[in-house]
Amino acid sequence: MTTGAPTGPAVRTEDVWKIYEQDDLAVEAVRGVTVEIARGEFVVLAGPSGSGKTTLLNMLGGLTAPTRGRVWIDGRDLTAMSERERARLRLERVGFVFQAYNLLPVLTAEENAEFSLLLRGVPADQRRDRVRALFERIGIGGLEDRRPSKLSGGQQQRVAVARAVIGEPALVLADEPTANLDSATSLALLEVMARLNTEIQTTFVFATHDQRLIERARRVIQLVDGAIEYDDRR
Amino acid sequence: MRRLRLLLRLAARNVRRQARRSLLTATATVLGTAVMVFSFSLGDGAHEDWIEQGVRLGRGHVAIQRPRFQASRHLDDRLTPAALERAQAALADPEIAARVLTVAPRLEVQGLASSASNAFPVFITGVDPEIEARFSHLSDRVIEGRYLEAGDRLHAFVGGRLADRLNLEVGSRLVLTGQDAAGEIAGQFVRVVGIFRTGIPEADEGIVHVPIRTAQEWLGVSGAATSLAVLLQSSDVVEDTRGRLRQAVGGETSDLAVLTWPEVTPELAAAIRVDNFGNYLFYGILFTIVGLAIVNTVLMSVLYRTREFGVLRALGLTRGETAAVAFSEGVLLTFAAGIVGMALGLAVTWGLFRQGLDYSGLLEGDFTISGVVLNPVIVPLFRGARLLQGAGAILVIGVLASIYPAVRARRIDVAEAMKFEA
Repeated sequence: MTTGAPTGPAVRTEDVWKIYEQDDLAVEAVRGVTVEIARGEFVVLAGPSGSGKTTLLNMLGGLTAPTRGRVWIDGRDLTAMSERERARLRLERVGFVFQAYNLLPVLTAEENAEFSLLLRGVPADQRRDRVRALFERIGIGGLEDRRPSKLSGGQQQRVAVARAVIGEPALVLADEPTANLDSATSLALLEVMARLNTEIQTTFVFATHDQRLIERARRVIQLVDGAIEYDDRR
Repeated sequence: MRRLRLLLRLAARNVRRQARRSLLTATATVLGTAVMVFSFSLGDGAHEDWIEQGVRLGRGHVAIQRPRFQASRHLDDRLTPAALERAQAALADPEIAARVLTVAPRLEVQGLASSASNAFPVFITGVDPEIEARFSHLSDRVIEGRYLEAGDRLHAFVGGRLADRLNLEVGSRLVLTGQDAAGEIAGQFVRVVGIFRTGIPEADEGIVHVPIRTAQEWLGVSGAATSLAVLLQSSDVVEDTRGRLRQAVGGETSDLAVLTWPEVTPELAAAIRVDNFGNYLFYGILFTIVGLAIVNTVLMSVLYRTREFGVLRALGLTRGETAAVAFSEGVLLTFAAGIVGMALGLAVTWGLFRQGLDYSGLLEGDFTISGVVLNPVIVPLFRGARLLQGAGAILVIGVLASIYPAVRARRIDVAEAMKFEA
């Protein structure tokens, strides 16, 4: 539940660990990450495959609980919340963009984009107006009634971005959002997200090893073997 | 409410999305339900026919008698003229009278029928000939002579097997012997006016009808009867009519008992219960198989869409809500197929067999069960309560079959789901 306009960092972690145990083997996917991300930042989590980017991203979004350590979003401690409270927080304060788009195939582009608004009880006319305006801004106007299967990869990812930002969340987490896109489409999508970051002051955190995305970021947090190797502010 | 509508919309569209898989499962449910409606309609029709025969030859849908008569079968437990008057007054209540077709006074006594050549134990019933002709329909089963008439006095109407045993024919003399009201053995000469054959061995060798006035005089119980047999419009109103009659004759403590046909002829009620049990068992097995098909369809759908369920969670749905999507898919699929199946079952049964299903080719001669002859033509009976029962059963199957897939959907780990490749 939101409580007025939060003033602290958008995201903060304190000595976060994620250890997967399988048989007698313990794998430390994330090791003691402490980080603070301010509102409106455009941050990249970089690192090779298996460096813990996705796991850290999942913990920032409350999809995975840390083995130890704490995570705050908008000043609220995720690790102290119940499942239901975390679901509520994700709905109201966090947007996700996935590598494989992950649009719901039985819904149209517009229904996918308005999903979180509908869950939050926004009236139908307001939902429609907001989705249509956003679709125009990100270059997919006119595709509202199409099912995902009738959209290109780039169009699907834009719908996914629209779904992530439509509710004006405090934080958008994107996991390899350009990995399945060709170069031109990737650049266009990056433009869209950079513009949204500036216009609506939403914090973007990307997990990627896409060099183009890393070059555009104002802050790059490099992960190696689950730990921060460096945190570079530009 | 808005969230619920969204979950239902997702569920309905997912059912349509897996069209082939859903259609296969739905077809099994549709056929199972249609066969159930068909079978229960014919079964209820057959049972109604059994009941109709049973109550006409027995003591009606409802019988008013002394509380102890059912066990004692003794004249001491008879309805006196005053008691008969009270019973008739209760039956005159407009709410009750509207459901009553015929009321027949009966004076029943166990005795012995003797001719010049032999003697045989029989069940002698004193009847009002005009009323009884409409009630028991034995007058339709005459093979020789005629049924009793209003002016008859020392006459008897006997079954064909009894006639054979006692070497009787129309006009033959017969002595009926029984215990009178004073406890003395009393005999009565009568002459055979007609012989009937029902096909039921017990009836054809054990029933003798005589005019009730003759029986009353012979047994020394002027104006009395042992029961008032009441024929109703349908067996569906038996319990309600019994309740009203009980109230009208003075309730549980009354000296008049109101019994229903299952109490008077428990063997027939048992036969129907056994037949129904067989049907229920068959449908239990059939719908277990249908239920497993539904579990399989919905579970496959949930497992195939693991990543989607993960996305729903990431977007802010709770575990319970994602489970509700899977649960609704199973219930919607089952219930929609169930409704179609019921409609199909009704249409086929009504369209092809409303005049009756003739299986006389399978029966050789009369086939009896618990004192009734099986009618070789079964006319289906459509009962609203039975259809509701069927709809309820389908819904229960849908609910039960959807629980496990819903539990699996609820357990999905979001982070793991994102790695899932269908």
